[in-house]
Amino acid sequence: MRKFILKRLLQVVVILFLILTILFVLFRLAPGDPVSRLVDPNLTPEEADHLIEQMGLKEPIWTQYLMYLKNFASGEFGYSFHYGEPVAKVIWERLPNTVMLFTTAVILAALVGISWGKIAAWKKGRFQDILLTIASLVTHTLFLPWLALLLVWVFAYHMEWFPITGMISDEIWLDPSSGFFGKLVDVAHHMVLPLATLFLIHFGSYLLVMRSSMLETLKEDYILLARAKGLSERAIRNQHAAPNAWLPVVTSVGLSLAFSINGGALTETVFSWPGIGREMVFAVSNNDYPLAQASFLLIAAVVLMANLVVDVLYAYLDPRIRY
Amino acid sequence: MAAGVGEKIRRALLGAAAALLCLGLAAGAARALSDDIIRVGVLEEPKSLNLWLANDTWSQRVVDLIYEPLYVHGPKGQELVPWLAAGPPQFDAAQLAYTVKLRPAKWSDGSDLTAQDVVFTGKLIQDFQMPLHSSKWKFIKKVEALDKHTVRYWLQKPKAIFLSRTLLTPIVQKKQWEPIAKSAQGAQKPLQVLLRHKMDKPVGTGPFMLASWKRGVFVYLLRNPHFFGRNQTIAGYPLGPYIKGMILKVFGTADAAVLALRKGEIDYYWNSIQPGYIQQIKDDPEVKLFVNKKSAVYFLGFNLRKAPFNDVNFRRAVATLVSKEFIIQRILQGEAEVMHSLVPPGNEFYYNPQVPRYGDGLDWNQRVQTAYQILKKAGYTWQVPPVNASGEVVKGQGIRLPGGQPLAEFTILTPPADYDPHRAMSGQMIQEWLRAVGIPALSRPMSFGAMVQRIKDQRDFDCFVLGYAKLSLDPGYLRAFFHSAMDRPRGYNMSGYRNPDFDRLADESENAMDPAVRRQLIHKMQAMIMQDLPYVPLYNPLVVEGVRKNRFSGWVPSLGGIGNEWSFCVIKLVK
Amino acid sequence: MSKLLKASPRLARRHPWQERLAEDWRVFRSSLLGKIGMALLLLFGLMAAGSYIPPLLDPMYHPMTGVDPLVLKSTPPSARHWLGTDFMGRDIFSQLLAGARVAFMVGVSAAFMAVVLGTAVGMTAGYMGRLTETILMRLADMIMVMPTLLIILLLAALFGKLNIWTIVLMIALFRWPGVSRVIRAQTLSLKQRPFIDAARVAGASHFRIIFRHIMPNVLPLAFLYMTFRVTAAIVIEAGLAFLGFGDPGTVSWGMMLQWVWKTGHMFTAPYWLLPPGICISLITLSFYMLGRAMDEVLDPRLREEGQRE
Repeated sequence: MRKFILKRLLQVVVILFLILTILFVLFRLAPGDPVSRLVDPNLTPEEADHLIEQMGLKEPIWTQYLMYLKNFASGEFGYSFHYGEPVAKVIWERLPNTVMLFTTAVILAALVGISWGKIAAWKKGRFQDILLTIASLVTHTLFLPWLALLLVWVFAYHMEWFPITGMISDEIWLDPSSGFFGKLVDVAHHMVLPLATLFLIHFGSYLLVMRSSMLETLKEDYILLARAKGLSERAIRNQHAAPNAWLPVVTSVGLSLAFSINGGALTETVFSWPGIGREMVFAVSNNDYPLAQASFLLIAAVVLMANLVVDVLYAYLDPRIRY
Repeated sequence: MAAGVGEKIRRALLGAAAALLCLGLAAGAARALSDDIIRVGVLEEPKSLNLWLANDTWSQRVVDLIYEPLYVHGPKGQELVPWLAAGPPQFDAAQLAYTVKLRPAKWSDGSDLTAQDVVFTGKLIQDFQMPLHSSKWKFIKKVEALDKHTVRYWLQKPKAIFLSRTLLTPIVQKKQWEPIAKSAQGAQKPLQVLLRHKMDKPVGTGPFMLASWKRGVFVYLLRNPHFFGRNQTIAGYPLGPYIKGMILKVFGTADAAVLALRKGEIDYYWNSIQPGYIQQIKDDPEVKLFVNKKSAVYFLGFNLRKAPFNDVNFRRAVATLVSKEFIIQRILQGEAEVMHSLVPPGNEFYYNPQVPRYGDGLDWNQRVQTAYQILKKAGYTWQVPPVNASGEVVKGQGIRLPGGQPLAEFTILTPPADYDPHRAMSGQMIQEWLRAVGIPALSRPMSFGAMVQRIKDQRDFDCFVLGYAKLSLDPGYLRAFFHSAMDRPRGYNMSGYRNPDFDRLADESENAMDPAVRRQLIHKMQAMIMQDLPYVPLYNPLVVEGVRKNRFSGWVPSLGGIGNEWSFCVIKLVK
Repeated sequence: MSKLLKASPRLARRHPWQERLAEDWRVFRSSLLGKIGMALLLLFGLMAAGSYIPPLLDPMYHPMTGVDPLVLKSTPPSARHWLGTDFMGRDIFSQLLAGARVAFMVGVSAAFMAVVLGTAVGMTAGYMGRLTETILMRLADMIMVMPTLLIILLLAALFGKLNIWTIVLMIALFRWPGVSRVIRAQTLSLKQRPFIDAARVAGASHFRIIFRHIMPNVLPLAFLYMTFRVTAAIVIEAGLAFLGFGDPGTVSWGMMLQWVWKTGHMFTAPYWLLPPGICISLITLSFYMLGRAMDEVLDPRLREEGQRE
């Protein structure tokens, strides 16, 4: 087991290094530099040249590459062209917001998906099953930004229940009398709609996976045994069938992570949620290479690690798999 | 795995989520700030408050309220108003030197503004070859403090931009910047170190100072208690500021900001409102709209280095076919004015209305007929001419150059829709218009950085649609756009326009210290450009802004909108 | 994994593949999901085909460049414009029809390319084994877990060629690994079959074995994967267009949504906001249902990754 984890970790490191290098090459090949965006007749060609030189973009390519690796190794990621601040700082300011929104959404979606999937499987072919299956198929295939816009239109514009965008209200944060709790409530209030968007898009897939996995499990011998022992239906469902049906759901969480990250970037953009996905879209359209590179690498690292964790968890949860 | 525990965790989590949701719902009503703090909606936050890095619109808006120059443009536009300076600059023709006396003014930390600060700012720009600033300081031989409140500039040669741009450089405090500059000078890449310096507490002389900044959410500015202009009347405006402060709320999307304005969550939206919302806002009795002109130009450019764009007749025919009215009425929904010259009409002093116009006021059939005549006369031929024997307009096909070779397909580069949907869409329409007469144009959007590099650095392109959203009031840009000396990599003469007559006029205008003389020259330059047509000017967007009627009044409209220093210095709470 | 409705008994694998396809089709038709999906697709197909008609009626119905001379702003539905007009006075209904054409074009061509690539890589990896397999499969793993939309966004912005075909190509380049994984598994099991050995003994080249003997057997599976790829491709293109990185010369549904959003009509023009979103969601749903129905036809155990991405 240990050996397996180490081997996989090594692979992850190699892949990350590869991605790092590919990113470097891509960004150097790409036309346009941070200065070319600054179209202002007051910027003379000499000044532009000087600026490029000062940004270190005129060094030999190997020096730049080494510098780049050094920056990443030290966890600094260089300086953002746009903000003129260390990339690490910009990212650390945005990352918690993304993590907060994201984990809440995935956990909620997984919990609801699993428990409803259980019910759907249990009531296979009956009204609840059909309703839940159709609901999850439909919500799962909704076009995410459109769903987000729709939610804003209905619940923020017409009903006025929630703020339209953003993460916090300045009035509350500037008011010294609002304590930690007040701020928490404020963030929660802003989070409802983005959360609802991500939740609606995701719970369906968990539900469907749980449902089919549960159906497979229900055919197993030990369920028949449990039935024979005269255990209650509820006990069979929750204590015997469900725990084993979890496995595929765990895998699917890992596999769908990339999809969720795409959705996360779209959600953050529509709701102006100050997270890493929105920042990356922004950095990309601003030619802010260091920031775009670092956020992409971070996303790649998270995805790779999550897949590793899923594999390990899978091995740990399923007694039949031994590495 | 124990299912019981899982179940409990699940319940607890679901419960917590539900509780948060309910609380969230309850938190709807936001508490208000003190009444005399204006709440302003902005689309993006400033990228930095380091004055030298702050070159984007949103950062500039904030730093302009903190840092100030010696002279400013009055709200009406061209005239220069002494700001930190006590009066107009005194010219010493013999020595080619200017002397400026400063007003008694204080920095926001309470210390005095002195001539040393002004000298330091100039040296900083020169020493670091500060981007966007150094060109207006290059010709300054020497700048010296004669006494605590007198500065003297020695010029190498007469330059018009000394008055209209050099004297408008924002002044920074020596006390704050000297240590930063010192430590930067020792570094390998001094400018980079300087630009990367994080300015947490910018000290300025402006009417406002930074109180706090929560990244991505708001920038909170308070009135600078040491602001020199308080209770003074400058350019006819009794200055305050009468408001205690301002909070710039970052919205990220225009929808949210416009809605916040209508709901009264903000008092002013510091950005042009999208056409889709304007009708709604017009009907809203609580909101007042201000429409102002802007100093900007959007245009279609040609690569004069290659055929057929090196033929002025071809360029004129294209200009005739392009319906500026269509672009303005439909793509910009009427929120723009037609441009016939490259100097915006809002720049009244320098704008020349007497320039050649192309296709002005013609309908589609007339456009095609006119363009057809121009091209036919120049020797272009068609397989199927766009105007048939009986004079009717038909779809043209197979155009050939005067030499007889067929005209190959060429591209019109535009920025992508995420950067500017208007330009991308204009490119599409121009493509269609040209194709209708058989000119094989293809509009292609390209990411902005890549596009600019193709045009400015590599010069490998056919046509493009670009624009300058913020042109300075000084028309020095005409020289930058069309002087043959600027036809080099990273130079702004993207078309590759080379005309010795124009160069001569441009150089003359650059050195003309007398505004009236300069104006004459600038007028001539505009006419010449519109004759030769390296660029076809298209439109200049209008700035449509909205404010809450019941909150503040006394807004000062000016070129670029009501969001200017004058406004924020004079608006008062509505009683 | 998933047998949404009635599962069917699998047929023996030795049939010639044409016959098997016919049999699969019979099973497929008995699935309710498949039927709904098919019906929806047919509807979208009709829309795509119908998109050629409006511009012929009147140039003002051209989805990209046709504007109603009498309309200067977005107007609600009327007899002249069934779904109203957009901000320039263009007909939303014609745009919606054209969007269906673009969705099919993007979806099917990207999916086709992805499946061809994935099948080729999967078969090669499964058949060759050893180092080739390790390298190809590690590469697949790496690409598979990456967020495609963000990568394409990055590449599109970097290289600046926002042509619809470049977008299609990029989607294909990043969506093959899922296919190749499954095809590889299938190839591995086929490799053990006697008929492959027989072919090898008879002196058939690797190339011939792969294309004559293995490919026909993995094709149905590849076809199943195509439906899921179509979904992915349509969603990615729409997402790109929505963010403003699409091809402005193409009227896609994502582009329509971007126009609503960016021109400030989101709250004022539901007749413009709703149709494109409904269409993207429904076309995704129909391909997804089709995929699930086909999934029931084929052996579900071969499926490791059937989630939408």
